[in-house]
Amino acid sequence: MTQAVIAGVAAIPVARKLPRAVRDVATDLCFAALADAGLPARDVDGLFVTPPALSGMSGFMWSCTLAHHLGLSTRGQALVECGGLTAALALKQAVQEVRAGRLRACLVVASDIRADDRADDFEFFIRGMAADLVGLYGPYDGLYGLAAPIPYYAMSAQRYLHEHHLSRADLAPVAVTLRRFAEKNPRAQLRQPITEQEVLEAPPICPPLGLLDCSAFASGAAAVVVASPDVARRGPRRPVAVRAIGEAHEPAHFAPLREPLSRFPSAGRAAQEAYAEARLQPVDVDVAEVYGVFTATELVLYEELGFFDRGRAAHAVREGRTSGGGTTVFNPSGGRLSLGHPAGATPLYSIVELVEQLRGGCGDRQVAGASVGLLHAEHGMLNGSLVGLLEAA
Amino acid sequence: MKELIDAATKEALLRYGDAACEEFQRRLGQGRLCSTRCRACREIAFPPRDFCPHCGAREAEWLDLPRRATLYAFTQQQRGLRFLAPDVLGLVEVEGVGHFLTRIDAPFERLTIGLPLEVAFLEICPGVWVHQYRPV
Repeated sequence: MTQAVIAGVAAIPVARKLPRAVRDVATDLCFAALADAGLPARDVDGLFVTPPALSGMSGFMWSCTLAHHLGLSTRGQALVECGGLTAALALKQAVQEVRAGRLRACLVVASDIRADDRADDFEFFIRGMAADLVGLYGPYDGLYGLAAPIPYYAMSAQRYLHEHHLSRADLAPVAVTLRRFAEKNPRAQLRQPITEQEVLEAPPICPPLGLLDCSAFASGAAAVVVASPDVARRGPRRPVAVRAIGEAHEPAHFAPLREPLSRFPSAGRAAQEAYAEARLQPVDVDVAEVYGVFTATELVLYEELGFFDRGRAAHAVREGRTSGGGTTVFNPSGGRLSLGHPAGATPLYSIVELVEQLRGGCGDRQVAGASVGLLHAEHGMLNGSLVGLLEAA
Repeated sequence: MKELIDAATKEALLRYGDAACEEFQRRLGQGRLCSTRCRACREIAFPPRDFCPHCGAREAEWLDLPRRATLYAFTQQQRGLRFLAPDVLGLVEVEGVGHFLTRIDAPFERLTIGLPLEVAFLEICPGVWVHQYRPV
């Protein structure tokens, strides 16, 4: 089996709105990622994309319109969608094609637009939202008028705190730690320093989660070049190998019917598959980018991925063992809470951070000597996860 | 604005719902919280299905669920779409079924995990019903 490596990466800073039309942003990023890989556009033989916006703008035939726009003649292209896993699955498709030896240089392009000018039209917004709610949460939960999936995550946080005899105050160091990393990341959406007291006094969103326990509304885009090692070798950068990808889905959308709400078993199952394939263990991981969209979720994920015993991650964060004082550094990008969370593109932002960390080019947020990186992404409420293991080639 | 939300909700129910959802709604309108049980393996599904998601059998029968529940988790939306604040939501545990999302018709401050609850019904717009729970 051919190895698949990441040869080039590019991403724009995360912000409330995209700086330009999504087609212009995607085009710039494709050229930037190809330049990073040292490849001309004519060498691209695969294009795998997310919808331009996960919810909102239609993604109908976006891979075709983008390929047309870029003038790409490929032997494989597709638009992939599975909630927050979307960009990770577009990447996975490219990796599989390269591993199978069918394709040699694939562009993966992800974007999300969460703030849309049309949303300023209240009537348009409400009508679309009421219908989308039933589509997204189903004809049962969708009738209760959920404004976002936050209530599910809030109740998961409540159960986690309840079962482990923790309190809201134990969540605050997560937000503060991630913000400290984001202060050093020019791509991060939120870079103003915050204190634990500010996290605890922030306006409530859904108790026990307050404003600073949640990721903010964000747009963003990223592109990645996945190539075979011989193609990547021609570039100026150190390629990063995709050692393993694990994936697992539970038969539940948002809240599971019987399993505890405080657990995210899909993350553990996906991680076990990836660790086994790569013959690595959590202790081997130098840097991890995980899909923690809320403070409590972040803690549960560190545990499910095998880094800490159940109920112990909050102590590890407080003691600095997740931010340089332990074997693994978590979310040095600032994570979803401070780098920002343009959901459709989030997993590619994680890939960009991991690749830059494994190349050793992250300046003052560089994890010293990082050689193994872990990607975690999820859809819905952690009911489906993908875990990737990367290693400096 | 309520008319807009109601119209969009009804349209979406037709688009995203199914036959079991329609029957569930009809029974809610009669003051009954129901779901389906597999004729082969006897597992109760929730929400209802016209097949069994546990063993794959195609034969399922309707049954009334217990009216009592306990509070498994709860929160409050500051900005919901349908109910004005305080918009209290919870997951309730029904014996033999599992936990599922519902509206809690009680102040957030009165609630604790494990609180005994009883089901009630609310017509959110003409012909569309939801279950909600109140402390016993």
